Amino acid sequence: MPPINTTTGSATSARRRVLATVVVLFLVVTVFVIKLVDIQVVRADTLSADSLGNRSVEQTVYGARGDILGSDGDVLAGTVMRYDITISPRNAGEFTRTTDAGKVKVTVAQAAAEIGAVTGQTGDEILAIIAGALADNPESDFAYVAKKVNVDVFRAVGDLNIPWIYFEKNPSRVYPNGAVAGNIVGFVSGSGEPQAGLEIGQDPCLASTDGVETYEKGADGVRIPGSTVTARQVVDGGDVITTIDTDLQWYAQQVLADQAQATGAAWGTVVVQEVETGNLVAVADYPSVDPNNVSGTEPRDRGSRAFTDSFEPGSTFKSLTAASVLDSGKASLKTGVIAPYRYLPERGGNINDSHGHDDEKLTMTGVLIESSNTGMAKFGELLSDKQRYDYMKRFGVGTVTESGFPREDSGILHPFQKWDPQTAYATMFGQGLTTTALQVSSIYQAIANDGVRQPVRLVEGCRQADGTVEHKAATNGSRVISAGAANDTSDVLEMVYKNSWVAKKWEIPGYRVAAKTGTAQMPNGKGGYSRGYLVSVSGFAPADDPKYVVSVSLADPVKMNTSAAPAPVFQKVMSQALKKYRAVPSGTPAPDLPANW
Amino acid sequence: MSQNLARAFQPEEHDLWSPAAPAEGRHIEAVLPRDQRKARPRIVYALTASAGMAAIVIAQLLLSVGISQGAYEISTLQASQVELGRTAESLSEDLVKVSSPQNLAANAAALGMVSNSNPAYLRLSDGAVLGAPGAAAGTPEARSGAAGLVPNALLAGVPLVTDLPPAGAQGTGISGKGANGRAAGDPAAPAAAPAAAPAAPPSGLPSPSTH
Repeated sequence: MPPINTTTGSATSARRRVLATVVVLFLVVTVFVIKLVDIQVVRADTLSADSLGNRSVEQTVYGARGDILGSDGDVLAGTVMRYDITISPRNAGEFTRTTDAGKVKVTVAQAAAEIGAVTGQTGDEILAIIAGALADNPESDFAYVAKKVNVDVFRAVGDLNIPWIYFEKNPSRVYPNGAVAGNIVGFVSGSGEPQAGLEIGQDPCLASTDGVETYEKGADGVRIPGSTVTARQVVDGGDVITTIDTDLQWYAQQVLADQAQATGAAWGTVVVQEVETGNLVAVADYPSVDPNNVSGTEPRDRGSRAFTDSFEPGSTFKSLTAASVLDSGKASLKTGVIAPYRYLPERGGNINDSHGHDDEKLTMTGVLIESSNTGMAKFGELLSDKQRYDYMKRFGVGTVTESGFPREDSGILHPFQKWDPQTAYATMFGQGLTTTALQVSSIYQAIANDGVRQPVRLVEGCRQADGTVEHKAATNGSRVISAGAANDTSDVLEMVYKNSWVAKKWEIPGYRVAAKTGTAQMPNGKGGYSRGYLVSVSGFAPADDPKYVVSVSLADPVKMNTSAAPAPVFQKVMSQALKKYRAVPSGTPAPDLPANW
Repeated sequence: MSQNLARAFQPEEHDLWSPAAPAEGRHIEAVLPRDQRKARPRIVYALTASAGMAAIVIAQLLLSVGISQGAYEISTLQASQVELGRTAESLSEDLVKVSSPQNLAANAAALGMVSNSNPAYLRLSDGAVLGAPGAAAGTPEARSGAAGLVPNALLAGVPLVTDLPPAGAQGTGISGKGANGRAAGDPAAPAAAPAAAPAAPPSGLPSPSTH
């Protein structure tokens, strides 16, 4: 029965085939399982480490710290990429270099000399770095050769093709204008931490966030397209736009430093403020700090005294008292007082003038020209202490200005209830309270701006990396005194400018100027007064249409301890400001007010 | 046995291919031609599918070759972009440095210029003189570098225009310090050098072209 045989035979072979298939399948699965265990368990760590090291590369993407810019875009502080040159001491050895002339052997000493020639070190110094690192740790794989070298050096060392030299990026801060506005801009530490000035004050705007991205590379080191994974997005810092005019700032610092050295002053400040806006156009400090070379300046001179130090302002403060009295209507420009050499008010106190003189019949103009303390006291007492205190507060005395500078000083203005009679009278002519150079400038700004005080502004805004500018909320000015009182005070100050004993030293031909000198004793740090004086000049021009306030202070100019020291600085800086901003020379003559009655 | 088996298979075929067909003899004839008819289109399908797969594989290979080629190109271009970026950054750093007021003032003073802080203006409409003109008094000596009244450590080693070799001499430019880099291989260096060279008047006084 062939069919039966055939059927039986085919059934047997089918069974065999099934068996064979099962066996083969089993073998294949077994091989796979063994391989799987081998890869996933036995060699898992080695393999994954190999794969990561070979293919996946994580790199830091450095975000750039924002720039600090002048009002016209000049870079006062910027970020540049610098490179650290590092070495693998344990691998430092002879190597072969391929040159045009064929393969050349290079010894360690030779290589060290080549590196040194570029970085400005000697070959021995570099050999010492290698030897030192190996002495500490024979397996040492890392040592710095040079830090923060520029692109030229980086490329030159890279061109040497030394296999055991590596580079690290090191974003660094650079201040292209050096000491110009250095005291305001501040500086950062070697590791990039902000240390002073706007670098600290504006850090929230300036700071950047470094990003991290991972990509895979082929065996030859080429990045595989589309494999980049951004683990953290890099965020560049924003740019801080200041109100500082770089050129005027330089000029003010130059003139101030020249005069401070000529008169032997310990330090000095110049503040230039725009009348209409309250913008600080220049804030000069002497001594200046060069943020590129911070260690070249004494630690106490590295900040900006104009913002952070307050002193008794002295006679420049009399303008505020005069403006207050004129605004209250208690006196006019025609009101006269009798100014003795010594005045002993009924409520107590003892007020002297700086020079002995007979009783003088003075108007407000005369009091300010003579800078008579007794005359000022007789005008000042027309107002109550509270009234004068309120005026001072409105002029910004005793309050930190709006500039946003870190650690700015508010000055000292005790509440009027705590004034003893002597203090009550002393505050009329700028003693018994302290102000910063900025606050004095702000007082004159309010008088020049028809009695409206504008907030002091140093930072215009923060420009984000995407180009959007966050402007500081522009607050409107606040009226301190009436426009009439402000103009009267301005006229009086013009008479002071014309008739002061330093008139020749601060004369600006062609312009009407309003200005006042001040000479105040300085504290000796022990609760008393030192023998030195803080001499100052504050004023604005053109008086018929005020554009700029300039306030100059010199501390203890031992060779010329009078207001004659700051007067030439005022003259030069004011002239430069008027010239630079094309202020139209005054066409009308100055008013002529009587000084006596 | 065999019949039983055959019988047992037959209803299954019925169920599979034509459950409605009742006749046993007819379906054997009908199945064969149908199978033959079906076989021909199947080969066409198989060929088409295989060809499609082959095409896809080839296309994928070509694409990946193209992408790898592109990767190398991108890599090269990115490397040169980084290099050019570094050059640009380095040059603009030099430029900003030499534009600092200290450097400008020192160079102006070296060329004999004096700052006049005595503003006066000529009004063109009526020729009126505004302000009070006077002779320039000059400014405090403007020195650049760390020695100046307003120091700038970055300017150390930057020569004044008066100290530069005369125009026409090749090389140096204003980045005297940077010249030890790869000025020769630097594509931007030749362009920068002529611009930085001082514009010395060839003869007589330079006259501005005003109208």
